[in-house]
Amino acid sequence: MEGVAMKLPSFKSLAPNAISIGHRSFSRVRRSSSLSVFSAASSSATVATSSESVSLGHRVRKDFRILHQEVNGSKLVYLDSAATSQKPSVVLEALQNYYEFYNSNVHRGIHYLSAKATDEFELARKKVARFINASDSKEIVFTRNATEAINLVAYSWGLLNLKPGDEVSLTVAEHHSCIVPWQLVSEKTGAVLKYVMLNEDEVPDVDKLREMISPKTKLVAVHHVSNVLASCLPIEEIVVCAHNVGAKVLVDACQSVPHMVVDVQKLNADFLVASSHKMCGPTGIGFLYGKSDLLQSMPPFLGGGEMISDVFLDHSTYAEPPSRFEAGTPAIGEAIALGAAIDYLSEIGMPKIHEYEVELGKYLYGKLSALPDVRIYGPRPSESVHRGALCSFNVEGLHPTDLATFLDQQHGVAIRSGHHCAQPLHRYLGVNASARASLYFYNTKEDVDSFVVALADTVSFFNSFK
Amino acid sequence: MAAAAMSCAASLRLIPFKPTLFASSVQYPAKALILRPLKPSELPSLRRTIITFQKISTGNIRPPLASSSPSSSEDYQPIEELPPKLQEIVNLFQSVQEPRAKYRQLIFYGEHLKPLDPRFKTRENKVEGCVSQVWVRAFFDDQRNVVYEADSDSSITKGLAALLVQGLSGRPVPEILRVTPDFALLLGLQQSLSPSRNNGFLNMLKLMQKKALNLEVKGEEGSSSGESLESSFVPTPETNGGASVVDNDTEDLGAEDSDSGSNVVALGSRGMRMRERLEKELNPVELEVEDVSYQHAGHAAVRGSAGDDGETHFNLRIVSDAFQGKSLVKRHRLIYDLLQEELKNGLHALSIVAKTPAEV
Repeated sequence: MEGVAMKLPSFKSLAPNAISIGHRSFSRVRRSSSLSVFSAASSSATVATSSESVSLGHRVRKDFRILHQEVNGSKLVYLDSAATSQKPSVVLEALQNYYEFYNSNVHRGIHYLSAKATDEFELARKKVARFINASDSKEIVFTRNATEAINLVAYSWGLLNLKPGDEVSLTVAEHHSCIVPWQLVSEKTGAVLKYVMLNEDEVPDVDKLREMISPKTKLVAVHHVSNVLASCLPIEEIVVCAHNVGAKVLVDACQSVPHMVVDVQKLNADFLVASSHKMCGPTGIGFLYGKSDLLQSMPPFLGGGEMISDVFLDHSTYAEPPSRFEAGTPAIGEAIALGAAIDYLSEIGMPKIHEYEVELGKYLYGKLSALPDVRIYGPRPSESVHRGALCSFNVEGLHPTDLATFLDQQHGVAIRSGHHCAQPLHRYLGVNASARASLYFYNTKEDVDSFVVALADTVSFFNSFK
Repeated sequence: MAAAAMSCAASLRLIPFKPTLFASSVQYPAKALILRPLKPSELPSLRRTIITFQKISTGNIRPPLASSSPSSSEDYQPIEELPPKLQEIVNLFQSVQEPRAKYRQLIFYGEHLKPLDPRFKTRENKVEGCVSQVWVRAFFDDQRNVVYEADSDSSITKGLAALLVQGLSGRPVPEILRVTPDFALLLGLQQSLSPSRNNGFLNMLKLMQKKALNLEVKGEEGSSSGESLESSFVPTPETNGGASVVDNDTEDLGAEDSDSGSNVVALGSRGMRMRERLEKELNPVELEVEDVSYQHAGHAAVRGSAGDDGETHFNLRIVSDAFQGKSLVKRHRLIYDLLQEELKNGLHALSIVAKTPAEV
């Protein structure tokens, strides 16, 4: 499976036909051609899977050329998808296609190319909205990434609505991007940050969080799936609690949107953020979901072109959301490529991806925890507790940096070592750093096996010095 | 010693290694200066040294050697400009080809690094940009040579720190400031070289040079010598959890001087074994095996090394017909091969002069 190179029809032959058909159907033509190839592959694959012999990971690997390489003399085993995901060829092609055939500035132009670019850009927005079941695509604001999205809420909504003594509830396991913006804004507004710690299952203590939420609470900002603990928070419950006291909820869904079905109607969160690069999309684009009436009430974040209605010398009037929060020329190609990534994921089906990852994640956890002296952080998987497909861990007496270096140098295994942008969490756990192996649907059982073998070798190498 | 270094250096440059991308090596020394405001009287002399050095490194003063690979290392600092101990370390790593063995050697260095007293694990002593924690401490010995101590919670970083400590300790400030990270390429340790923010190795070297410069500047300002030169004496150490308290024995560190002096040390068992082997295999006209381990007695890679009686560093001078027709590389390779066993069992470094009778 690995060696097969999928040859999609060349752009040159496609494009002229596509353009003449009409810009509306352009993307669909492209999609269907790539689709036909993909479905040809997958139909043969489905025949195979019906006999349960080819896993999802094996099936999709051919779409990710980057995975077929050697590093430092060994086959690459990429286990760092929580840091950034790899992109399938269709996404790369979508980006290339945009620049090659219809690159043009959006929303401003009259001419053919710009109309097409605008269409595709707005279509991408619709795709994002559909992907998370937002009620309207106007509720999707494109940003540079999730971090910028959180900053947007902090500076736009936060500065307006937070008063001295108001409380913002967070957990100790938040990513820095969901801590620092609130620190900056609370300094300016006099609001107070309150953190909930972990319980004995090593997940944020939801009971304590419930207790902490009071009429003083104006915002609850929490992760959906933790990038270190792999735990999943009961967002719906938390939202009910928060709304009871009139507080808003922002959900950092960076580690959930790429891996499972996320339905903002079900969650009923007020804000939700995610980054494209963690979900098979390019870097440089992410989004903020915000309920319509909330976004309506928020002042601009960045000022400039696009987000205005009329500009005078001494004042300006502003556009409606989402444009109000999208100053300047956006990352057009990237947004379109994100749309392609969403198509790709939807084609496979998020439930299927999630199911596969639960299995593979369990397998990883099982093999890792079977090794002596390995301490995995976060909850133990069980019937009721589903972990995300990642494991942050430490090996007794071995610094994670040494571990990761050796794994990379001697085995081509790519994991992450450090604090994973969660210093408060690591401080709480009493460690300086940890190693983290994270999976995505293009990883296979063999990847996990290779990792475990390499890890055992690494541990014995370093143990030989004791 | 210098001759040995020269021949080592020449041979080293011929051994092919994968040049990794280290672009800023040429400007490096200049950067090291922009750390503290220096007195005008200070500035020209140090700068002059460094500018002169830069000219040397960018120019091509490589002795034309008739040998295999056209060296792609044109812009790198010539090894003979490194402090002698650093040259030895580079030699040793060059002789160890297999990556795993290199790591082993590196970690071995680290394991024998003298532990750093926890009270020196302060912010000022911490190396920035390390994913692991690394601390470096510097002070003058009574001859105004810089002495270093270091520690880290990660084995590999500790090894790198140990390399630098061993390589640079006991040297005068200008010599330390002249060192560029180029030599790291010769070590063949890939991971030490990326110019990324997390490059602890580069930052370690920078911090050590900055501290050396600091000591020099403070010394010029006429403050009292010795321990009080350290700006780092803040009683809030940062260690996470217990660190061992260490005998602050600076005596033998101070004695770590550069010159070999006239101390003739009778050969121990290793020395004898080496002599025997070399005599047997090379049939030399001249053979000198000099145990100079005592020179390195201060640094902890030696103490209790591999259960041997501290026989770790030797100077070899061999004149033999066996070297006829062999390039310097091959000569050194030959000698290292003959002494494989010793290298595996605690022999740290060799300084080699290998000539044919005609060349003497």
